[in-house]
Amino acid sequence: MPLRALWESLLERLFFLPPFPESIDSLALFSLLLVVGLLIGEWLHAHARWPKVIGYVLAGILFGPSLLGWISIEALAQARPIADAALGLLMMEVGRRLDLNWLRSNPELLRSTFADITLSFVLIFVFALGLVGLTPAWAAATAAVTMASAPAVVLLTIEESRAQGLVTERIILHTAISSAASFVAFALVLGIVHAEQSEDWLNAVMHPLWVVVGALLVGGIGTWLALRIAKTLPKGSLAQVFVLIACALLAVGIARMLAVPVFLSLFLMGVLLASRDRQQTLRYTELPEGHWLLAIVLFVIVGASLPWQEFTWLAGLQALGLLLVRAAAKAGAMAWSGGSLPLPKRLLVGMGIQPLSATAVFMAYEIASLYPEVGRSALTLPLFAAAMMELVGPALCRLALHRSGECESGDRSRGGIA
Amino acid sequence: MTSKPLGVFKDSAALSLGVELELQLVSKRDFDLTRGATDLLGSLEYDERFGEIKLEITESMIEISTLARSTVDGIAADLVGLRDTLRQHCERNNIGVSGGGTHPFHHWPERRICPGDRFNELYQRYGYLAKQFTVFGQHIHVGCTSADDAIWLTQALGVYVPAFIALSASSPFVDGVDSFYQSARLNAVSAFPLSGQCPPLGSWQEFTEHFAFLQACGIAQGIKDLYWDVRPKPEFGTVEIRVCDTPLSIEQATSLAALAQSLARWLLRNRPPLHTAKQAHVARYNKFQACRYGLEAMISDPVDFGQIPLRQTLTDLLEAVSEDALALDCAHWLSPLKQLVAENTGDAAWLRAKEKQHGNLNDVVREASDRLLGKSNHSQGKTT
Repeated sequence: MPLRALWESLLERLFFLPPFPESIDSLALFSLLLVVGLLIGEWLHAHARWPKVIGYVLAGILFGPSLLGWISIEALAQARPIADAALGLLMMEVGRRLDLNWLRSNPELLRSTFADITLSFVLIFVFALGLVGLTPAWAAATAAVTMASAPAVVLLTIEESRAQGLVTERIILHTAISSAASFVAFALVLGIVHAEQSEDWLNAVMHPLWVVVGALLVGGIGTWLALRIAKTLPKGSLAQVFVLIACALLAVGIARMLAVPVFLSLFLMGVLLASRDRQQTLRYTELPEGHWLLAIVLFVIVGASLPWQEFTWLAGLQALGLLLVRAAAKAGAMAWSGGSLPLPKRLLVGMGIQPLSATAVFMAYEIASLYPEVGRSALTLPLFAAAMMELVGPALCRLALHRSGECESGDRSRGGIA
Repeated sequence: MTSKPLGVFKDSAALSLGVELELQLVSKRDFDLTRGATDLLGSLEYDERFGEIKLEITESMIEISTLARSTVDGIAADLVGLRDTLRQHCERNNIGVSGGGTHPFHHWPERRICPGDRFNELYQRYGYLAKQFTVFGQHIHVGCTSADDAIWLTQALGVYVPAFIALSASSPFVDGVDSFYQSARLNAVSAFPLSGQCPPLGSWQEFTEHFAFLQACGIAQGIKDLYWDVRPKPEFGTVEIRVCDTPLSIEQATSLAALAQSLARWLLRNRPPLHTAKQAHVARYNKFQACRYGLEAMISDPVDFGQIPLRQTLTDLLEAVSEDALALDCAHWLSPLKQLVAENTGDAAWLRAKEKQHGNLNDVVREASDRLLGKSNHSQGKTT
């Protein structure tokens, strides 16, 4: 390479020069991912009115190992801490929005969330076991990974649409509850996979415990610290925002050190923050707009992580089948559960909770990494389902919000928000 | 736009009452205003036994209106019934409800006009003012047996507009800052071209001529276009007092209705001279004084000249109508107003005290919501 040769020739004369850089610096990579994702997301949003998230994922697919290869596997590993931080912050936000009091005061919501969780898990499990032919353990893993809606996508789509109203609130609640249920299923599945793959009962019991207790501990420490420090600062001040972010990032770091899933730890931290904050210390403290910056990088990385190079038509059809079963389960749950919200609106909630994304991908890789020789191929199904939903999910969620009449109106003369 | 005829004045039972309260729909997450009134009402199953629950101009507002009642206790029962119906339905949908004349920190461009021809027409006509009209008032209807009585009472009650403003003032915060006003809400109403006082008209005949004149000039299409402080409402057969902020509690709203009923009886019984032409010169100034200073306002007297402290006027007024309140069996509802005047424990003072206590406005709305919904133990006007 002439540039390398030139550099090395200069290196002999200019002693202050560092060796020729073998890999891209993390910060430079971060900024490149950011700019590329941003440009594609903004372009699609401006020209086709697509949700920006789709653009970020497309940027990842385009520049990732599957297509152009500009983002290498090593670069992906290098960018993982940033993705963890982004996902962690978004999961904490979703956890903070899990309003258990609302569930207690409205039995119809208990019914509909329970129906969503149960139907989604059971139907996907049966599909993976019976039609795709996975073993019970991997079928359960597939169901655990794909049963929930995608918290990050839902939250960002709602923020982008500035949606507000009864359908929006139910979409958030269903997403948070189904995420919690999928994390429980995920922990149980870890044990089942160990039991099936190695018959190692110690790991089969201890690993799920490690994940759940560890995540609870990490979330608890983050919550305790955040509330303790924030209490000494003025409510709603910028200092409190920084404390919240710093404590969340600390929890992300500890979770990574202990090999406890970041998404679970931070989700629990969010739930604890919402339920333990009796003096409203951090209740009104919101993440700054800057968290979009991290979210862009997250979705570019998720896009690049999708295994499109392993795509086969059969795998694609199976994933499509899974998505249809999952969609039917969610729509059926909403239709069956009844309640004061009219059926068309409940079906819009069902449409709004279709996204499947980053958490599913991270969960799938987490399980696959336990037994890499079989895990990767066994989890192709949920990964392709997530890959397809990455592109369709945000659009469905946005359509549901738009149809419900709860998001920003493009026509300013009709009285929507500007 | 088509003009609506005024119609005949529907006589109603003397001194019958009706109360409308515009309420705030707030998010339980941060207690900012939230949207959702249309869906909320769409999913409400309620047989209207206490009155109506209706949409208002933006999705963040909801209006409750009682049935026509002959007694204040009847109004109180309706308001509690309506409040509890709304509370249960809002709890099922995770929405909070609060009183107060303004939301202390909402961002008006985020408001959304409710669907419907009338609301859209208002938005087209008034533009951003329609969104800024996300303010919350109490309207009190007093029944009249004749159209001429209604016009006379409209004029007579005009003098007491500062009293109702000061007693109900609950909007000291706007856009997240202390406005220095006790009732900043009325500043949003003043921006509308047909707001203000009813002109000095002496009879129903003069009123219909004046209204026909406004219609002929293309200024007003229907009676609803007149945003007067006090106006006749022919289809109900009432006079409507429209200057009150929505109080922070149902009890305070009931007390204001008791004052309106007692005062109307006292006025119709004593028929004091009105001096409407002279009052017209000081009405805006007196209204400003009451909005800005509440009970500390200095009210100009265009007849005997000079200024009188509103607190003094109110003390005398509450004493004067005591006999009528007894006759109407609502004297017990006036006692809290007497205490409010004596101890300066109005809603605006309560809101400011809460802001001082918490250092933020989210918690102020949280406590105000609890107070309206009867979840807190605040006695009338207590600030701690």
